[in-house]
Amino acid sequence: MEFFRDTHIDFMKYRKYFIVVSVVFIMVTLLAVFVHGHLNLGIDFVGGTQVTVKFHQPPVIDELREVMSKAGVEDAQIQSFGSAGENEALIRTSTVPDQEEGMQGVVLSALDQRFNAGATSDFDLNQRGSEVLSDLLFEHDPDQVRQQDEEVAHNHYDQVAESVLDIRRLSGLFDSWESLSEVSAVSAETLTVLRQNTHMGEFAVLAVESVGPQIGAELRRKGVLAIISSLIGMLIYIWFRFELRYGFGALVAVIHDVLIVLGLFALAGFEFNLTTIAGLLTLVGYSVNDTVVVFDRVRENLRRSRRERLIDVMNKSLNQTLSRTVLTSGTTLLVVGSLMFLGGDVLRSFAFILTLGVIVGTYSSIYIASPFALLWEQVFGRSAQQ
Amino acid sequence: MSRSLVWRGSLIAIAVAVALLSAYPLSEKINYGLDLQGGIHLVLQVEVEDAVRSETTKDMDRLVQELRDAGLGSASVEVTSSSGFDLRGVASDRDDEVTRVVTEYLPGWGWSRRGEEIQFKMEIANAAEIRKLAVVQAVETIRNRVDEFGVAEPIIQRQGLEGDRIVVQLPGVDDPERVKKLIKNTAFLEFRLVTFPLGGGGVGSREEIMAQYSGQLPTNVEILTGAIHDSQGAVIGQQYYAVENRPVLTGRDLRTARPGIGEFNQPVVNFYLTHEGGKLFAEATGANVGKGLAVVLDGRVVTAPNIRTRIADSGIIEGSFTRQEVEDLSTVLRSGALPAGITYLEERTVGPALGQDSIEKGLRAGVIGMALVVLTMFVVYKGTGINAIVALSLNIILIFGALAYFGATLTLPGIAGIILTIGMAVDANVLVFERIREELHHGRTVKSAVDAGFGKALSSVMDANITTLIAALFLFQFGTGPIRGFAVTLSIGILASLFTAIFVSRWIFDLILSRRRRVERLSI
Repeated sequence: MEFFRDTHIDFMKYRKYFIVVSVVFIMVTLLAVFVHGHLNLGIDFVGGTQVTVKFHQPPVIDELREVMSKAGVEDAQIQSFGSAGENEALIRTSTVPDQEEGMQGVVLSALDQRFNAGATSDFDLNQRGSEVLSDLLFEHDPDQVRQQDEEVAHNHYDQVAESVLDIRRLSGLFDSWESLSEVSAVSAETLTVLRQNTHMGEFAVLAVESVGPQIGAELRRKGVLAIISSLIGMLIYIWFRFELRYGFGALVAVIHDVLIVLGLFALAGFEFNLTTIAGLLTLVGYSVNDTVVVFDRVRENLRRSRRERLIDVMNKSLNQTLSRTVLTSGTTLLVVGSLMFLGGDVLRSFAFILTLGVIVGTYSSIYIASPFALLWEQVFGRSAQQ
Repeated sequence: MSRSLVWRGSLIAIAVAVALLSAYPLSEKINYGLDLQGGIHLVLQVEVEDAVRSETTKDMDRLVQELRDAGLGSASVEVTSSSGFDLRGVASDRDDEVTRVVTEYLPGWGWSRRGEEIQFKMEIANAAEIRKLAVVQAVETIRNRVDEFGVAEPIIQRQGLEGDRIVVQLPGVDDPERVKKLIKNTAFLEFRLVTFPLGGGGVGSREEIMAQYSGQLPTNVEILTGAIHDSQGAVIGQQYYAVENRPVLTGRDLRTARPGIGEFNQPVVNFYLTHEGGKLFAEATGANVGKGLAVVLDGRVVTAPNIRTRIADSGIIEGSFTRQEVEDLSTVLRSGALPAGITYLEERTVGPALGQDSIEKGLRAGVIGMALVVLTMFVVYKGTGINAIVALSLNIILIFGALAYFGATLTLPGIAGIILTIGMAVDANVLVFERIREELHHGRTVKSAVDAGFGKALSSVMDANITTLIAALFLFQFGTGPIRGFAVTLSIGILASLFTAIFVSRWIFDLILSRRRRVERLSI
């Protein structure tokens, strides 16, 4: 199948209108972000604590919010996480003075008091580690191995504890004693000891992230610096390999892409975190990549026919590279799209940036980059100076 | 087959074989990041000013001591900052004496007279050295503690070459709170003589002690507190002890410590003293039989038993400990005290369940995305599509081979990087194929169209990939952990796709074209 064979679209003709459309679009999105009120900065950049918890029952967000505010965590942000059947929730708090090392202790004990009030023991299988479980089993010695040798007994119970907790490692949460009786390393006596001395709490902690305000400020600074320096790096590379006018065109196109994607990202309510920066940097790379291929063709065509006007050469080059531009964007869209829909919550915001980035980047490499390179030529070029 | 085809084919075969060998079996050869296998990532800050301050106090005491010995008994000092203090009560005609003492006993200090007082300032190089040593020693201490914990492949290192931060990464740890406590535990152990109640034990209130000293504590005595436990080990109250300021011994005098069982079958810590420590301890306990000896840990009294006999080189710390507490306490006592306090700046703990889930979802997205790309290439380029598919498959093999070979870590964003590479790797193929089509449209023969296509597309392919590589380099520079993993897979993917799209793909074309003398049609 061949797309766009021998097309002669006059891309440059309406360039002024497209530039106006882009500028208006950027202004509207940025304005909307400011009116909307805030950038949703994640704990990576402002500091704070984020706890991911898995429950037996689907968590009720309002109830969790109430639990948190009773515990004195006033500004907790709570949202469900993962797909519906997974019963996971994400609790995020900002940094509290005197609690710079994180609020995870406060959050978890508040949850414990609310959901595990009727606990039958002080050993929660859903929260404790394998080493303490091994110690507990060693103490009760259900398999009668202590008389032989203490060392052997420790090793034995270490293994039993590991295989018990392997279930939690796979599923995230213990929900029934039956799941334990199927494990071959767990004897009937061990199961009895576990039933008597432990309980299965209502929730398990899947992840804890805590970032101090100092680190947050640093990451913010480093993130902005990384994006700016990568832009400068691109400009210098294109300047060096091509000419300054192309570098200018590519730079304007990239800044255009980053601003639009950032605006839409903020409007969609996604959280800004380290992965967002990674997404934006990749977008910078992709956007320039797309543009450079067009410029490469412009340069080649200019060498061949020196007489032609730059604007005509650009039009010709855009048409020649059109099917490549569309096809590459298409395959990239296929993968980032599947990442967005199938890749899970953690990668969704990242995939969102790239999906938008590929679309906007393709548009800008046609309608923004070349017109601005032309503009540079018209203002500073040889013909302008004559 | 021409010789060129043979050696190029062999080179490709060798590259693939090396990649396969280094990556097989995948589950053993690839390092999974903490976000995929679960574990704890900590960034902690050593409060280095504490170390400087304690050095200042030590040197200051030394100075006063030496000046007294030199007959300047009226000297008094006052701390002004973590690395400075003022000396008073020394007449200016005795400055020569001060110079002598400072040169001999306080190297690394500078001083200047301001009228009545002399200001002491630690030299910058000296303070920097103390800060550096504090961090190095903290890394060492934490490493000792973590080693005792039995974590496989822990990472404990100073962040950057300068600075006071330490990064600790412990894969597979499932009890983060315990680990954090263990690492942070300063475990400053002291043995101090009890002055009231004289035989040891404590009293119920602070007032009781103050009454004993008629409202005014002697300068060498202070009041410390300790918890009271019931038989189950739960804290049921607090009691007070009057103890001497100066410890008889500290944790530094310990040779080793081990968990043990006491006479009532309760967990205890057995400790063994160094030769020097043993002499001091024997002297002190011998002279104070019948008095109380407080075991003080981080400023809290653990227990204050009665000294029944002279103790020479070993002893027992009894308290209301659980077995786990006894193990952890022995560990920190053995590993030595931290030179300064520690603050946690960043903690990221991921349970294995979440990581497993991420791997599955990432894998699914990757497989489906790749299938769609393969399908597209077939639809668009027909027979030549196979060429792109082969290049794509080799690309993935090379990425995993390189990851395994360089011991790089695969993270969740790293998986995203591989998936993204799949989409972008075909770009180089697309550039070349489009160019070949163009040349065919211009009426060239298949062979010369392929030649021209590769030749003309080369500069575009290089430029396009180098720009992405530049972005990946900045990403690597910026990123920590997972993000760095993304930069790594993206960079490797780009390099691999350059190899497959330019070298391998060309070889496949040449191989097909060499079969027949004249090729009339190319399925593209």
